Amino acid sequence: MPVPDRYSAFYWGHAAEGKLAIQGFEGSDHVQYPPNAVAETPDVDGAPIPVVAAGTGVLYAYTVLHQAFHPAWADSLPYVIGLTELTDHPGIRILTNIVEVDRAKLRSGMPVEVTFEDRGTMRLPQFRPVETGDRA
Amino acid sequence: MSAGRATAIVGVGYSPIYREKGIDSRPLASQAAKDAIADAGLTATEIDGIFEYPGLPNEISITMQRMLGIKNLASFGDYASSGPSGMAAALGAHMAVASGACDVALVYRSISREWGQQSGQVHFPPAEGPSQYQLPYGVAGAVIPVMGMKKQRRFAELGGSEEDYGHISVNARKWSALNERAALRDPITMDDYLSSRFVAEPLRLLDCDYPITGACAIIITTAERAAGLKQKPVLIDSTSLGTGSRPDWTFTDDFIFGGTREASDLLWKRSSVTPADVDVAQLYDGFTHIAISWVEALGLCGIGEFGDWVDGGKTIGPGGSMPMNTTGGQLAEGRMHGLSFVAEAVLQLRGQAGARQVPDANVSVVANAHGPQCGAMVLTT
Repeated sequence: MPVPDRYSAFYWGHAAEGKLAIQGFEGSDHVQYPPNAVAETPDVDGAPIPVVAAGTGVLYAYTVLHQAFHPAWADSLPYVIGLTELTDHPGIRILTNIVEVDRAKLRSGMPVEVTFEDRGTMRLPQFRPVETGDRA
Repeated sequence: MSAGRATAIVGVGYSPIYREKGIDSRPLASQAAKDAIADAGLTATEIDGIFEYPGLPNEISITMQRMLGIKNLASFGDYASSGPSGMAAALGAHMAVASGACDVALVYRSISREWGQQSGQVHFPPAEGPSQYQLPYGVAGAVIPVMGMKKQRRFAELGGSEEDYGHISVNARKWSALNERAALRDPITMDDYLSSRFVAEPLRLLDCDYPITGACAIIITTAERAAGLKQKPVLIDSTSLGTGSRPDWTFTDDFIFGGTREASDLLWKRSSVTPADVDVAQLYDGFTHIAISWVEALGLCGIGEFGDWVDGGKTIGPGGSMPMNTTGGQLAEGRMHGLSFVAEAVLQLRGQAGARQVPDANVSVVANAHGPQCGAMVLTT
């Protein structure tokens, strides 16, 4: 379970509402992920603001875990971890599991879309293939 | 060339390497240090600087000072784990000697298998801070999952084959067979590599280095002082660090190479030699992906050309045109965590590497780590 902090509360809060949001800054087009205390670019001093993303992207890189390095994941093997590059924010890559996927069809560049997984009292953004045919 | 006093590596020491758990690494660190001091023809009282990585509480530089009975230090440094492995401490010592902060610096890295084996982790902190964006998705085991993704992305973006990676792994055992200190000395074949289990697919078990308990130490002093010491001096020709843009193992701009390209560019810009002059390469192989990144970043071949360059493994093996990781590296000698690559380069340039000696070795390039914590050195005689 993620532990939200003052800079990430918006991210998990939006996820709870079924929205994917990344960190932007007042008076600037700059966006970044993961959120930080300040903008990771010179000359942007505005306050952090949530920027809601379309929730679509392409799979940048992925791995299939065959060994659990945390006991909570021992029963989930094998599972897929992937970095998704957002369609509307090139260069922004979000790490999630890639769910509802036929592992044999995984490939860099495959279109994916956000979905949300209920976990305890929270909702976690996850990505899944866009084409129904690619789903498991 | 770097500013300040010219520096040289004048001593090298190793402890034995153990595969067993439950061995205290402190006596091993002391032994490696004493061996390095004796190798240089110095006494402990002449050491006035101590530098170590990664600043673990029970093995900081003043711990070593006490174990060696040194009265005082003019300079010391405990380098955090964010630096380029054992080379972080060597670079610190080099800077201290070059600047005049101290004259004779001891550098060491000791490692315990317990600490190095992430899968043996027993404490699982909550997913807060940076880990809130990864741990809830099952990213645990340090950089293993992200290293799987880097290998996958390399295939997707630059092509290449599983065999490219396998050549690094097979090569390690060719060399470790010639190294009595190595933990893993049995040869392996490409079939062994290709049938080794996936850990973070496409990352295989034999893409990962082998945890050990052991210690390694080197002595750095001025080139001027080195000229009067016991061993043939090995000069530190140039050094560099590299982090890359938006430095991070996962959320970074150059996902495949991390800071290896920036570190390499700076290294050659500062060096008196070129990639074509390198006789033997010692490139960090904590994961095979890291070694391939350095080969290309350093310009030993072009980006994406490793597969052709390695020529079925011939290039980097005994008798090859670019002998590489001549101890067997961390894949086979064991995960000494960086400093052993520097130590082996020194032995090679002195002509003291025994059965694994590369003929007429005068220039070696050494690189450590990957991602946001890259470091490199050129050593010459």
